[in-house]
Formats: sequence, structure tokens, C-alpha cells
Amino acid sequence: MRIKSSILVLVSVLLLVSLCPRPAGAAPYEGYTYSYWGEAVQSPIAYLPSRAIGGLEAGTGAWNAPGDLFVSAEGLLYVLDSGNGRIVVLDKEWNTLRVIEGFQNGEKKDSFNNPEGLFVTDAGRIYVADTENGRLVELDGTGTFVREIGPPKADVIGAGFEYFPRKVIVDKAGRIYVVGRGVYEGLIEFDSDGQFTGFMGTNKVQFDPVDLFWKSVSTKEQREKMVQFIPLEFNNTDVDEDGFIYTTTVDKKTFSPVKRLNPSGIDVLRVSKEIPPIGDLSRDRSAFIDIDVTGNGVYRVLDSTRGRVFTYNEDGKLLYVIGQLGSQLGTFKNPAAVESYENAIYVLDRDLGRITEFTVTQFGSMVNEANTLYSSGKHDEAAKLWREVLKLDANYEMAYVGIGKSLLRQGEYKEAMTYLKLGNDREYYSKALGKYRREYMRDYFSLYMTGIIAVLLGGYVIVRLVKRPRKEGRVQDAVS
Amino acid sequence: MPFLKDIKYSLHVAVHPFDGFWDLKYENKGKLRMALGILMALTLTMIVKRQYVGYVVNYNHPLALNSINELKYIIFPFLLWCLANWSLTTLMDGEGKFGEIVITTGYALLPLILINIPNILLSNVITLREASFYHLLDALATLWFVWLLFIGTMTVHQYTVLKTITTMLLTLAVVGIIIFLGLLFFNLIQQIVSFVYTVYQELSLRG
Repeated sequence: MRIKSSILVLVSVLLLVSLCPRPAGAAPYEGYTYSYWGEAVQSPIAYLPSRAIGGLEAGTGAWNAPGDLFVSAEGLLYVLDSGNGRIVVLDKEWNTLRVIEGFQNGEKKDSFNNPEGLFVTDAGRIYVADTENGRLVELDGTGTFVREIGPPKADVIGAGFEYFPRKVIVDKAGRIYVVGRGVYEGLIEFDSDGQFTGFMGTNKVQFDPVDLFWKSVSTKEQREKMVQFIPLEFNNTDVDEDGFIYTTTVDKKTFSPVKRLNPSGIDVLRVSKEIPPIGDLSRDRSAFIDIDVTGNGVYRVLDSTRGRVFTYNEDGKLLYVIGQLGSQLGTFKNPAAVESYENAIYVLDRDLGRITEFTVTQFGSMVNEANTLYSSGKHDEAAKLWREVLKLDANYEMAYVGIGKSLLRQGEYKEAMTYLKLGNDREYYSKALGKYRREYMRDYFSLYMTGIIAVLLGGYVIVRLVKRPRKEGRVQDAVS
Repeated sequence: MPFLKDIKYSLHVAVHPFDGFWDLKYENKGKLRMALGILMALTLTMIVKRQYVGYVVNYNHPLALNSINELKYIIFPFLLWCLANWSLTTLMDGEGKFGEIVITTGYALLPLILINIPNILLSNVITLREASFYHLLDALATLWFVWLLFIGTMTVHQYTVLKTITTMLLTLAVVGIIIFLGLLFFNLIQQIVSFVYTVYQELSLRG
């Protein structure tokens, strides 16, 4: 009877459990981060898809292979509808504000031909990389033509140079940087007047010793048919508030697909030693096709291999991952561009002609806020938030490191060691250990020294006591 | 206390190798059980080292630790070394018997234990900046071991210096050959087994 009833209880409990919907089931993708050991560990989801919009919903007719997306400082969404050669401007509520179909260029009516890149300055000037026409077009906020910038002209550029601008950014000083198709010399830089000033920030040439060996033993004819060692072209770019330029390279072999270029074109991206920002750590590596820089050195990169958005902080540590390839809301078919504005991330899908909006969850906003405080050096305030993050995700190593650093500042060395060990930060663990060691020695040095001296003295006395009778005995022996 | 005497003698070998290994061979002072004991103690030390060496220098993934691995990476190479050395030296006019080789190699392992244990303790109180001391001691242990192994091989087989070095290098090559043959053997056995099994399956399905 008792067994029967307990079985009944067990079955009913199991039934109830199986009926309860899993809360994570709401998202079409799983949240995860990478541990220090490079293992993917589950993590709560930081952003959830909230809504999506396509050309039909926007009332402009379906978008045809939209290539780029831009969110202006006021939160207006600029969609570059490449296939139809137009720009659609949406406001925050996703009502269509304007559609820029073409423009009056001097005498004639002009339009875009398969443009791929779009940038809007803080002043509201729209820059379009009009790819097939081989020019940049600058429009003002209402869509009135301002000027066009043609191919770069200089002695260093050969006669056979084909100019197909793909992406464009403009920094605070009005300098224009262009990513060209097949241009491996780096970004094409124009000054604010549209004069070509040079290339900047090339990728390094990559080859492995095996290739070099085969090249050195092959004949001239064979060599000509081989792949040349040329640096890879950039495929996308963004600029942060301090004027640093971020670039991405769609190369699955490199360990630095993301670069942060300073004004002289040198990569100054901070990279974590263990895991550089390369997306997924699998054999089939991520291919980054867009980058979006938000405040505090946080940047998001869009991976086309699995349709994921990876968010890294300024130290190159992975904060969270969202998105996936698929056919649900929140998954993509062929993602093309990522942008973020306040608490939302927007991803543009080229094949579906659709923008998906993701809004931040409680976990995501706590991570964002804690990271902001952390990177601005407010470790103690950050530590409070990190503790909250740990309640939701005990796998979150950055939180342990954050708390550990805060404890280290407060002088709680021993506890700091525990947290820094959990967060796998050897450098700061070692600092905490050094401080703890000194503190420990200060407290216990006298005790230990007293102990050691007591033991030595005691030993000496015992030895003397033991030895003396022997000596006498020996003397006696000698006498007898 | 014969056991204490054995320990005292093995320590004597570690610091006075020429003298020690000579006595080991010609005075029969080396004990096989002592050599195997040292090997066991080394395995234990290595297991302890993987787990308990200070966090600052410990780069082992705690979930990937497995004591069987230590057996695989210490006892197996030890036996392979002895086997390869014996097979080689019988062809190269070495005077050492297999037992002597095992004993010599076993006694030569002692410094690894002698240095590793204090090193593990030390590593728990050092910071990242002082970690080079840990690595220095680690390297010293290895050098000392190689030195003892060198002297041991030289004494046991009555070789000249140059011949000892050649022998030791060749031994490594022979170890490689043994591993290769072993893998080949297992691979072939596997093929035969799978062939026989396929034939059996074919017959049983038709019948």
C-alpha cells in the first residue's frame, strides 16, 4: 500500500514537472559563454527577440537583399535596400519616415546601383557606398544630393585598379574610410574634401611554413598557379566615439579577425590571452561579417557561419552570445548587418529582407551595467552587480574576477584569492597571494620565530643532556 | 633496519653517482624492490603534483586530471626505456643485465622525488613573479635525473662517455621503433579480428 502510494506520488510529480514549460524554451537559441578552458558553458540569455520588420510591414514593398543597416544617434533606423537601390528610414516605433529612391545630381536624375554600405553622421549626413557605380554619395538628412566622391586618384594606385566601395564610415573629423572590394592594401582614406590621402591598417600577410616549403621547391610554372601570399581584405568596419576604427576580416584561419586601428593604422585591440575574440572555438570557425561598436569599448561581431552575434568587452572577453541560423523569430537565414541602440540589438537579414530587434533581459542588462562600471574602474559598485549576475549564472567567470578585484582593493586578500581562482585570473590571484602572504607573515612571524628558536634551544639542551653521560662513560672506559 | 639502509644507499647514489653505481653493480648493493619502490613513489609524487601544485603554476584542467595517465606516462615509458636499452646494449657489447638496467634507471629517478616534493610545497606560497624559481627547480630535477641516468648507463655497461651518449640517443630511437611496432601489431590484430568477425557474420546470416 505504502509503496503504491509513493509510486503514485512520484509519477504525479514527474508528470507535473514534465508539464511545466521550460523558461529557456522561449528563446530559439541557447545562451552560452566560453570558460577559461575553452569549453562552452551554458549561460542565461542576454537578449531576447522582441519583434521583426520587413519591407511589407514597413509599407515600402518588400526589401530586396538589403545590405546594410544604420541606427543614428536619435535612434532612427536607416535600411539600405540594396536590390531596389533605395534607403528606407524608420523611426523608433518602426513607422516609415522617408524612402530615398533617388536624387537630383546636377541636371540629371540619379540613383544607386546595388549599394552595399551606409553611414550616417551625427549631423545627419548620409554616406552611401554606391558599389556598382564606383563612387560614394553624400546626401543630407532629407535625401538631397550633396556631393559624390569618385575613385581615389594618386600615383600609388595602378591603372588597373577597380574601385567598388563596399562599406563606408566617417569619423568625427570628417575623414572618410572606405572598404573596397578586393582591396587588400587596407582601408581607403579620403580627407573631408573627398581627396584620397592613402591606405591605412593593412592585415598582415599570412602563410605557414608548409606553404613556404612547397613554394620553394616548385617550378616557376607551378608557382604561378599557386595561391599568392597576399593580405586579406577587410570586409566591414565601424568607428567608436574616440575615433578608433574597428575592422573585421572574413578569415577563418586568423586569430585576429577583429582589429582596432589607431589613427596611424596600428592595431591596438586589447585581446585576452586565453581566448582571442574569434567567435566560436570549433573547428569550423566563425566568419565575421559586421561589427558594431557600442560605448565603453564593447563591440559586437556578427558571424555568418552560425548566424550568431558575439559581444566582447574592451579586454576582449566574451560577454554573451545571441542568435543562430534558423527560421524562427530571432534566428536568421543570411545575416548581413548588426547595430545596437540603447537596450536593443538590431540584426538585418539579407535573404529574408527583415530586421529583427532583440531587447535586453534582466541578465543582459546586469552584465552590461556591471561591465560598464568595471571598465570605468568602479570595482566596488560593479562587484555588487557581479554578485547578482552570479545568482543567475554561476558559470560567469568575469563576475568572479570582478568580485575578486574588488575584494583585493578592500584588503580581503584571502577571499579575493578564492574568487580570483574561480574566475581563473592568475595574474590578480598572484597579486592577492603576495599581499596575503605579507599580511600572514606580519601576523605570525613572531610566533613562528619563537617556535623555531624554542625548538632549536630545546634540541640543543636535549643533545647536551644526552651527550654528557656518554662522554663521561667514554672517559671511564678509557680509564679502565 | 635493512630498509633504512637501502634508503640511505639510494641517497648516496644520488649524490655520489660514480661511487654509488659502481657499488650497485659490483657489490650487489642495488635492490630491485627499492628501484620499483622509487618508481611507485615517483608516480605518486606526480599524481600529487598535478593536483596540488600551487595554482599560480598549475595549468591543469581539474576535470581532465586522471591518475591512470600518470601510470601511462611514467611506468610505461620506464619499462620501454629499460627494454629498449637492454635490447640495444646486448648488441653493443654492454655488460649490464636487464635487472641491473631496471635498478639503475629506478635509482636515477630519485632526484625527481627529492626535488618535486619540496617544490610542490614551495609552489603554494609563491607568486607569479617568483614562479621562475619553481621552474628552475623543476629543470634542475630533470637535469639531475638525466645526469644520474647517464652515469648509471656508463657504469653498468662499462662504456666510454661518447658511447654512452650514442647509446642513450639510440635507445630513444628504439623506444620509437617499439611503439611503432606495437601500434602496427595492434592494428593488424584488429584487422584480423574484424575480418574473422565479418566472415562469421556472413556465414551465420547465410546459414
